[in-house]
Amino acid sequence: MGTRRYLLGKVAQATLTVLFVLIFNFFLFRVIPGDPAQILARAKHLPKEAVVQLERDFGLHEPIPKQFALYVEDTVTGNLGISYKFRRPVAGVIAERIWPTVLLVGISTLAATAIGLLIGIYGAWRRGSKLDLGSLGTSLVFYAMPEFWLGILLLMGFAAGLGWFPTGGIVTPGAGYTGVAAATDVLNHLFLPAVTLTLALIGEYALIMRSSLLDVMGEDYLVTARAKGLREALVLRRHAVRNALLPTVTLVALNLGFVVSGAITVELVFSWPGLGLLTAEAADVPDFPLLQGLFLLFSVTVILANLVADLIYGYLDPRVRAA
Amino acid sequence: MTRRRGRGLAALTATALLIGLYAPGAGAQTPAPTAAEDEKITFVYGDDNDIDSMNPWVGVEAPAYLMYALNYDLLVNFSIEDLSPSPGLAESWEVSDDGLTWTFDIREGVTWHDGEPFTAHDVAFTFNRILEERQGCCIDYIRQAETVEATDDTTLVITTRRPTLQFLTAYVYILPEHIWSDISEEEAKTYENYPNPVGTGAFRVVEWEEGQFFRMEANPDYWAGAPEVDEVIYRIYQNEDALAQALLAGEVDFADTLGAGIYDSLEGQPDIGTNEANIPSFEEIGFNAGADDTYGDEADGHPALKDVTVRRAIAHAIDKETIVDRVVRGHGTVGTTIVPEVTPFYHYEPTEEELIPFDLEEANRLLDEAGYEDTDDDGVREMPGGGQPLHFRYFVRNEKQTTVTASEFITDWLEQIGISTEVRGLSDTRLTNLIYDGDFDMFHWGWFPDADPDFILSVMTCGQRPPDGIWSDSFYCNEEYDRLYEEQQTTLDLDERAEIVKEMQRIVYEDAPYIVLFYDRSLQAYREDRWTGFRQQPADGGDLLAAYGPFSFISIRPKTTEEGGTGQTGATSGTGIPTGVWLGLIGAVLAVAIVWMLLRRRGAEEERE
Repeated sequence: MGTRRYLLGKVAQATLTVLFVLIFNFFLFRVIPGDPAQILARAKHLPKEAVVQLERDFGLHEPIPKQFALYVEDTVTGNLGISYKFRRPVAGVIAERIWPTVLLVGISTLAATAIGLLIGIYGAWRRGSKLDLGSLGTSLVFYAMPEFWLGILLLMGFAAGLGWFPTGGIVTPGAGYTGVAAATDVLNHLFLPAVTLTLALIGEYALIMRSSLLDVMGEDYLVTARAKGLREALVLRRHAVRNALLPTVTLVALNLGFVVSGAITVELVFSWPGLGLLTAEAADVPDFPLLQGLFLLFSVTVILANLVADLIYGYLDPRVRAA
Repeated sequence: MTRRRGRGLAALTATALLIGLYAPGAGAQTPAPTAAEDEKITFVYGDDNDIDSMNPWVGVEAPAYLMYALNYDLLVNFSIEDLSPSPGLAESWEVSDDGLTWTFDIREGVTWHDGEPFTAHDVAFTFNRILEERQGCCIDYIRQAETVEATDDTTLVITTRRPTLQFLTAYVYILPEHIWSDISEEEAKTYENYPNPVGTGAFRVVEWEEGQFFRMEANPDYWAGAPEVDEVIYRIYQNEDALAQALLAGEVDFADTLGAGIYDSLEGQPDIGTNEANIPSFEEIGFNAGADDTYGDEADGHPALKDVTVRRAIAHAIDKETIVDRVVRGHGTVGTTIVPEVTPFYHYEPTEEELIPFDLEEANRLLDEAGYEDTDDDGVREMPGGGQPLHFRYFVRNEKQTTVTASEFITDWLEQIGISTEVRGLSDTRLTNLIYDGDFDMFHWGWFPDADPDFILSVMTCGQRPPDGIWSDSFYCNEEYDRLYEEQQTTLDLDERAEIVKEMQRIVYEDAPYIVLFYDRSLQAYREDRWTGFRQQPADGGDLLAAYGPFSFISIRPKTTEEGGTGQTGATSGTGIPTGVWLGLIGAVLAVAIVWMLLRRRGAEEERE
């Protein structure tokens, strides 16, 4: 019973948030001063007749309540409007750019989580050792470094300098690779941006893991485990880390929500054709329908990730469900 | 071509277009083609903007213009030497004595990329569609046409309501009737024109990865001769530093529209050639010279700026030399009139007497004489007879650093002539709207005008003032100027027209609704060690690649070894780590995972004991 109520509560909460975002999203883009059709017309040097036509095309001639109704109806049916810039349905434009971002941020998050956790675990277990201070220090330096700058440094060193990796993009244009060669080509392009992002993310995971492990290390059950005669390594792995993982799991789940919104700066440095780059392009125009679609997508993924984090947490720790 | 870029939001586009305009070419990154006969010669062009649409009625971004220029043709070209009208799809033309009937001889033997023959009917179709549907892209270029008709396959006849030269500078790409006649007006709005956008151009698009690149193959049957290269790749680098690195690494062959800082760092590097291209572009300080004339009390421009004396005094107070040196690092020339010097045939340079030089004393004297005195001793002058101080709202563009930097100098100079300013940075969108509503005193912006002066001249006509017009941002209005504008439109003698055009520039310079600060340069860098055959447009200091048309793209070729070339046109780097190393890495990860699992199992057994 408790579990069911917990689940329903969380889902209801998420649904409400999504609704709020939907409403907020609509008004956010209506508060921006300026008549979109007029701006567009000036940009494209359109005659008057075309402005009126544009207003029609984008539904801007309707009163605000009607516009809102249309907006909700369209959004629910997956019609996110026509991009000003690309003159194609927003949903299609976004769909094409999702996978590069998921690939880049997904791989980087996994790598950063794995490496960060190891650094954190080791650091807590051997707190104060040279390796602890060294690894933690290094990861914090990368954490503090602007991604943009780190990316440019790597690009200058390994792409332009040594020539090991390409300077940007996701495939070699016009190469027409297939099979293994195509996969290798993508990996080559992926390497530097992924390394940049991984380095930038490690610090956060290392810190969280280290401090939560330190928290549990004084607990009685560790004394019990040792009293049973377990080796230190096992005490660490089976008892300490398992309990200390709770906050980390939450962090990972939450961060996954940002996988889609991606890493705008890293994508910009390496011309990685994902959603981050698309957002920057859309903001340049400004392409309101496209931005609106992107914001909606980003909000919904974050909300979903939060929901997942809540659910996982409830599963891992029964006390949460009872509360 | 330039006309599309205007200002405002438009100026956003402007920058973009500006790029597009002279969109040069690219470098070759791929599996490094060498100059060997059986290998593809690829030219890779790098720039910082994404193509928005391959549909010539829709796209406005610079790369789109590059694609149109290579994939399609114009009826009349802009000559490579000086941008004057030269044969395109029309081999020759003549106009009747009354100036109302134009007859174009259309080139024979031209074929579309799909093999269909091209005829005068295609031109008539394209023009008529644009006129009937009032296509925003291009209608202004051919608005004067009354009828457009192909009397046979090689003759196009256009009649007009009044004499005009506009068909000789019509920036309208000719589309194939056999394809576009199946696309309705409604469909045309979102028609992607990809894959396989059929044109008559020197290249044709074969691949397009949105956000990454597009690839064009040479058209061996091009009527003006087959290009020397086999393909051109346009690559997007959203980041300028990355683009410069790619050029150094040899992954791109040509980097365009660079910032001054990056350009200066590339200058003098081995194997890298650089060019400061003279382009039709300028930046100006604009004044609110009378928004209340059209808006009444709704607009709130400062009354002093309606006085030409105040505007001229400000012009005296701006040291344009310093602006060029410090704001664009010397990559530009001092500006005067609104038709840029890149088109010397139309550009007017003020005489010694007309020139308004940097002279703070003269500025102070003019203001004193006109009665703008500092009556309350706060260092700021007031309107004649006291009252409102000369305190101006001065808007700059957050999106354009030059406008911000220049304001630091200009406010200082203005202070020295008793004028105080409040500088505010705005987004282009916001500023566009403020200007449109007339709620400003002065601003800093720029234009990228057409090769033909008509558009930029029209901006200063009374009819362009908002809310009825769109383009005027100074609310300047002068009946004599408007009369001359009409006159230059209907004058068929080019020299006569140029005289009128120059007189119009003189009037605007004298009345100073704009202070043209400088004429821009477009900064380009390329692999000098690999490429030669560039043709600048205009020939005197112009763009190296694609200012207005495909000319340079047709003639560029790899340097031969005799010319000091490396015999290489492709990427020397970016080849990455060999597949074997990747497999090794994956193997290592798997090995670690297996060891980990074995250890775990052992641990579990141990605990069970």
